[in-house]
Amino acid sequence: MEPNGILIYGELTENYGIRPVVKQLLSKAVELKEKIWNQRIMVCIIGPRMNYEKIIYELGKYGADEVVIISDNRITEYNRNYFPKFFTEIAKKYPPRIILIGATVQGKEIASYTATKLDTGLTADCTNLDIGENNLLLSTRPTFGGQLTADILCRTFPQMATVQENVFKEKEIEHTATAIFSWFDINEEENKIKIIKSTKKETKSKDLATAKIIVAGGKGACKDNGFALIYQLAQKMKASVAGSREAFELGYITKSQQIGQTGKTVAPELYIAVGISGASQHLTAIKNSGKIIAVNKDVNAPIFKQADIGIVGDLFEVLPELIKNFETVNKEENDE
Amino acid sequence: MNIVVFIKQVPDTNDVKWTQNNNIDRTKMDSIINPVDKQAIEAALRLKEAYSANITAITMGPSKSLEVLKEAIALGVDDAAILTDSKFSGSDTCATSRVLAAAVKEKFPDTDLILFGQSAIDGETSQTGPSTAVRLGYPFVCHINEIVEINNNKIIINTETETYKEVLEIQMPAVLCISNYVFKPRIPKIKGYIKSQDYNYKSYNIYELNISETQTGVKGSPTYVSCVYKTDDDRNCKMIYAKDNDNFANEIMMEIKEIMGH
Repeated sequence: MEPNGILIYGELTENYGIRPVVKQLLSKAVELKEKIWNQRIMVCIIGPRMNYEKIIYELGKYGADEVVIISDNRITEYNRNYFPKFFTEIAKKYPPRIILIGATVQGKEIASYTATKLDTGLTADCTNLDIGENNLLLSTRPTFGGQLTADILCRTFPQMATVQENVFKEKEIEHTATAIFSWFDINEEENKIKIIKSTKKETKSKDLATAKIIVAGGKGACKDNGFALIYQLAQKMKASVAGSREAFELGYITKSQQIGQTGKTVAPELYIAVGISGASQHLTAIKNSGKIIAVNKDVNAPIFKQADIGIVGDLFEVLPELIKNFETVNKEENDE
Repeated sequence: MNIVVFIKQVPDTNDVKWTQNNNIDRTKMDSIINPVDKQAIEAALRLKEAYSANITAITMGPSKSLEVLKEAIALGVDDAAILTDSKFSGSDTCATSRVLAAAVKEKFPDTDLILFGQSAIDGETSQTGPSTAVRLGYPFVCHINEIVEINNNKIIINTETETYKEVLEIQMPAVLCISNYVFKPRIPKIKGYIKSQDYNYKSYNIYELNISETQTGVKGSPTYVSCVYKTDDDRNCKMIYAKDNDNFANEIMMEIKEIMGH
C-alpha cells in the first residue's frame, strides 16, 4: 500500500480529554497537508470504553479527517505493554507518510517503539516541521546542547518526529472528522511490565503550559531567600513560578516546575528569568515566549541575547523594588 | 546477574568553541563521558553491592572513546568493551541501536539487565535505549528514579510521567534508562585507576558483531542532516542598568505594562 497522509498519536489526559500537544500537532499537520497534495490526517487514540463523540468532534475542529479509536475497559491509564504495540499496529494497517507524536514521556516511548518496529527514522524534540525537497518531511531541531540547529530529513517511510508541548500553536478550522473503531486482543499474562502502584502527582503551582506569566529563578536565586522574592513577585503579578535545572536540583522547585530540555517547554506571554544565566537548553525551552525579561548581575550572561528587556543588576535589589511597585499598582486597581 | 551499561563519549556542550565561520571547532573541544551515563554506572555498582553482579561497560565510537571505558573501570565496573569500526561512523539512533543490540546478542547473550543514561547531552533524543530494547525484544522503562529490589528475575523500580508516580515490576532481561539526578556518582578509588591502566579492553568490529554494512553508519541511517547552522535567537535586548539609576523600577514597570497591554 502506498503510504498516505499524516498519523498523529492522540494522547489523552488523566481525565480522558485531549492533551494540548495533539491539537498543536493537528494544526501543524493541516499546514503540511496543504503542501503535500491529497493526503489524510488521522489521529489514533487508545483509551477505555467510553463515549468518544466529543473528542472526535474536537479533533475534527483542529483538522483531523479520521480518528481511529482503540478502546478496552482494561485500559484506564498509560500501559507500556499495550500502547506502543497498538499504535504500531495502526501505523501498519494505515501506512502513513508522516507520523507525529507529542514528546511526552509516553509519546517518546511509543515513538521509539514504533520507529524501531517499522525500521524507520525518528527525529526527537523538533522545533519546526516543514515539507522540504522531494516532498519529504523537513524536521528542525536543536542539537549540540542547543548551540546548533539542524534540518533533518528521513529517507524511509514513515518519516517520524516528536514535538514538545507548546512548540506549535493550535488553530481551529471548519472541519469534521469521521471515526473508525478498532480492537485488539489483550492477554494480561503476556505482560512483561506490571503496574504495582500508580499515584497522581500533586501539582501545587498552576500548570506552566497554560500560564500567561511565568517568573523563573536560576542558580543566582538559589541563596539568601532569593526564591522567596520570586514567589512574592509571582503572587503580585498573578504569575506561575518555575526554575532552572539547578533550582530543581537544589530543591527550590518541583520537577513539574523545571524548565529546560529535561524539563518543560513553555510559551507564556511574558517570561521573567531571574538569576538564570541561560544554558542553551533553557533558552531553547523558552524561545516561543511572547516577551522575555531577564534579570542578571552579569552583563555578559547569554540570557540577555534572547531577552527583549535586560535588567543588569542584583536581583536582591531589583526584585524588592518591583514587588513594591506591583503592590502600589494592585492597590490602585482595588481602589478603582 | 550480568549487567551491561551502555555509555557514550560526548563533546562538552557546556564549553563550545567556535571557528571564525560560526562552525563548531571540534578539535578544540573536550570530550567527556555523557554525565548521566556515570549515574547509570553508579546504579549498576549499587546493584552489584546489593545482589552481586558482573558489570560490563560498553561504548560505541572511535578508538578515542576508550577514555570513557577507562573511567568506567576506574569507577568499579568489572569488564569493558568498545564497538569500533569506521563503518559505524555517522550512525543515527536507528543504526546505533542495531549495533548495540547486535553486541548484546553476539557477545553478551546472558545479560539480565541493560542500563542507559536517560539521554546524551549532544543529541538528547532519549531514543537509543528504548530502540535497543525493542530490537532485543526486551521490555524497557525510561526515567528510572529508584531501583527498589530484584526478586525472582523481576525488577521493581520507581518512575514517573508528567502526571503519575509509578511503581513497576519488570520481567528481566530488561532495559532501564536512568534519570539524571538520582544516582550521584562515586569518586573512583586508586585501585580502580590502576586496574583501568592494566585492563585488557575488549574490542569488536562490524564483522565480529555480524552486522551488514547496509545496516549501519551513514548507509544504514534512515535520517540524515541536510543543513546545520548556529542557533540565532537574538531578540535585540533593550538593556536597563539598575545600578546608579533611581528610576530603574519605573522603567521596568512601563515595559511590563506595555507588554501586558494596559
